[in-house]
Amino acid sequence: MTISPVKIWRNQKKVRAFLGKTGRIITWTKVHVPPCSFTSQAPYVIIVVEIDKNLRFTAQLVDWEETNLKTGQTVKAILRKTRDPGLEGVIPYGIKFKPI
Amino acid sequence: MQITVLAGLNSKFGELWDISPRDLVKEVFHGTLKNSNMNKNDIDVVFVGNMLAGTLGGQNHLGAFFAEELGLERPAIRVEGACCSGGLAVHSAVLGISSGIYQTALVIGVEKMTDHKPEKVAEALMGAGSDLERDAGASFPALYALIARAHMEKYGTSEEEMAAVAVKNHYHASLNSHAQFRNPISIEKVLKSPMIASPLKLLDCSPISDGASALILSSKSKALSLKKDDPGVNIVSSVVATDTLGLSERKDLTTLNAVVTASCKAYKMANIDPGDIDVAEVHDCFTIAEIIAMEDLGFFPRGQAGKAILEGKTRLGGRPVVNTSGGLKAAGHPVGATGVKQIVEIYQQLMGVSGKKQVKNAKIGLTHNVGGSGATAVIHILKRG
Repeated sequence: MTISPVKIWRNQKKVRAFLGKTGRIITWTKVHVPPCSFTSQAPYVIIVVEIDKNLRFTAQLVDWEETNLKTGQTVKAILRKTRDPGLEGVIPYGIKFKPI
Repeated sequence: MQITVLAGLNSKFGELWDISPRDLVKEVFHGTLKNSNMNKNDIDVVFVGNMLAGTLGGQNHLGAFFAEELGLERPAIRVEGACCSGGLAVHSAVLGISSGIYQTALVIGVEKMTDHKPEKVAEALMGAGSDLERDAGASFPALYALIARAHMEKYGTSEEEMAAVAVKNHYHASLNSHAQFRNPISIEKVLKSPMIASPLKLLDCSPISDGASALILSSKSKALSLKKDDPGVNIVSSVVATDTLGLSERKDLTTLNAVVTASCKAYKMANIDPGDIDVAEVHDCFTIAEIIAMEDLGFFPRGQAGKAILEGKTRLGGRPVVNTSGGLKAAGHPVGATGVKQIVEIYQQLMGVSGKKQVKNAKIGLTHNVGGSGATAVIHILKRG
């Protein structure tokens, strides 16, 4: 599904506040059968991260090795392309995490 | 609250490539009308439960669409709440009748999913998730996989226990002529099926399905005027609750708060305890969902449901018997139809007309219909007499 370029632009303002934040993996899954717009990334890992007591985040984990796929693993928020660009050609960027 | 179920019917569920949504709905409507001994003109209002007709089929205006198709010049309303659209349509009919504005309501649940390729359907279903989840590519199996892993780590729930849900539901479906999958399966077969989103495998997941269900509900006074000698089946509780759309906004991933809230209210409204339920249809979109449902509904203590299911406590012959239809897993999950189908199944059980899958002396039944990864829950309790 194509995302409106306006929506991409609006959402990217929120991204900055999360960059560089660290947290711990609460739960994770490796997705083998992806929906449209994510087929080029499969298999990919999705995690729920606890940044602090009151803030959790759901996003993909990148640059991982099998040993990183465990609850309690510490991770850091980084900027990455989130999905395949639609027909509008605007590349959506957002938060993903990497192990540290 | 007492709303009487006058009649209910499910179409065959499955890959129905040669049948259009119009024909599916017509079939269940005419069958239900005939069983109710009513005339078309007795219906005051139509509620249609559906999730994906707009996204996949390009048709959003389903109230008028089906009213025209069925020749009913009546108020007609489409109701949407992801995978509990059907349950919400039933709830809406209950509200309409309880208000006194309508005496008799037709509830339709319908979904046509197999006309489209699976990746497209998976993407459309993601419309029920939060923005973060959609940006992450979190398909529905992925969200329930995140829940499953949390439950496994907290309670030691095993992949075998999850597999046992699918095995039981396939067994029940083997007794249901309208089910999508009537083949018995083994735990080993589930464990060896291809990985979808770890730890969930193909046979942990409900399928993509086509199907329709219909119900005719009326006020108790209207029902009594029609059937003088049969007390019939009444809906005695109808409760909706909501939770956060996304998983990351929840403190505990091993329970669905909306289900706990809605079921507590529903038991209170019916003046019963979980132990009074003889038969239940629950939302097993993934095997872990049935395990958590057993705990959230108060049937088993936290962390104990997986073991109980593995021991066969919720199979035919046990108590409460869960998902005699085969559940979403084996009877099929046409998302808008599911919540209506569950009521039809319980209605048939309480009327004693369920044939080989009949639960002996079933007097009280419950339905548990969930939208998204638990953001909306709809609970109904039905009683014989």
